[in-house]
Amino acid sequence: MNCSSDIESREIDELYINVDPIQAGGRLTLDAMKAVLSYGDGYSVCDNCEKPFRLDTIQKPPLAKFHKDLASFLHMDVARLVPGARRGFQAVAHSYVQKNSPVLLTEYSHYTEFLSVEQAGGKPYEVLADKKQIITPDAVAERIEDVLKKEKILPSLLFIDQVDYQYGNIHPVREIATVSHQYDIPVLCNGAYSVGIMPVDGKELGVDFLVGSGHKSMAAPAPSGVLATTHERAEEIFRTTQIRGDLTNRAFGMKEVEMMGCTLMGVTAVGMMASFPHVRERVHQFETQVRYTNQIVDALLSIDGTEVMSEYPRRHTLTRMDTSNSFDTVAKGHRKKGFYLISALRGRGITGIIPGSTRVWKMNPYGLTEKQASYLAQSFQEIASENGLTVS
Amino acid sequence: MSKRAVEAVFQGLFLFTEIRQIFRDTVPDHVLDQDQRIKVEKILVKLEKQLAIIKEEMLQ
Repeated sequence: MNCSSDIESREIDELYINVDPIQAGGRLTLDAMKAVLSYGDGYSVCDNCEKPFRLDTIQKPPLAKFHKDLASFLHMDVARLVPGARRGFQAVAHSYVQKNSPVLLTEYSHYTEFLSVEQAGGKPYEVLADKKQIITPDAVAERIEDVLKKEKILPSLLFIDQVDYQYGNIHPVREIATVSHQYDIPVLCNGAYSVGIMPVDGKELGVDFLVGSGHKSMAAPAPSGVLATTHERAEEIFRTTQIRGDLTNRAFGMKEVEMMGCTLMGVTAVGMMASFPHVRERVHQFETQVRYTNQIVDALLSIDGTEVMSEYPRRHTLTRMDTSNSFDTVAKGHRKKGFYLISALRGRGITGIIPGSTRVWKMNPYGLTEKQASYLAQSFQEIASENGLTVS
Repeated sequence: MSKRAVEAVFQGLFLFTEIRQIFRDTVPDHVLDQDQRIKVEKILVKLEKQLAIIKEEMLQ
């Protein structure tokens, strides 16, 4: 079935259990799906935009309240909607990273963090993880000292991903922020895989900037996200325009420079806002979701040769598996090669693993019911047995 | 045509979306439990009402 002449209707989440690592947390809630139907037109939130003509002041729909609620939810002082977490990184890097200034990132920093540094002209310095794939405060301290020795100046910013996209491991952000602040280095916490999924308290983490992704973890349409900060930093990052036209002397009110004025002016903002009451509640169910994930991982580990590359027991739903010595051994002799696994999964109504992957692959079973999680676990074991692997 | 018909269309879309959500909640087998069956029945009754409004407003 098509939506239009050449655009196929997307029915993935109506027909399959979808464990795509980047899609699970962004699946819309019922209320968001309804809101999307109503607010699909371009500037749809601007019907009642009044002075001072800025997104975070619109009362109807209640965006002004939503901005305040978001800040409160994250336990930060001020929040703004941004078109994806990456635009939050970009705004912060542009404000704090000068040309050739060193910036600390980590081995697991998302590529868009690097691009934001590149755009600002900064020099990246990476912090490596330990053997357990965790970024430690000690490693951060060592790297700061390295930078200081080499550059004679301190890094202008530190990026730390609370949950990294490669392993789904949870990193000690609070301790890292403490170290960083001992050197007066501002800290940006990338919460793309945590904000909206699990409880996140910006004040407790002690970070200067907390960035979340609407489409990755807040059940919102893409591109959407949130950039939250403290009162002190808000004056810098959300500074308002001062520019004037040289001939006309035009000025631009209280538009925020780093936000390029208004950010999400339609379906993205409303979708995110419609999901928010559910998101605010669902973070308290995170442990249940982690329990289901561990059940699925345990089932995979019961297949001889399978290993989990993420920290285990799992503390997050995003998980990286290594089935080089199990599912991949079958792929070598299978007529469908590595595609047999996704084919067998789809035959059971499951999707989201990269087609062809039988060695190292990721899944995110976030949002499944207990019944669906059990079915997924059992399906992996059945596929293994059917293909001659030992399940113990 | 009227605001009433427009609202019936939106109400219908929202009701269909509720059915869509039930598909999502029950993948991959779409086997409904008793509560879900009752919910679908109620949705369908409401949908029929909205269709009737649309017919009345747009075709009569």
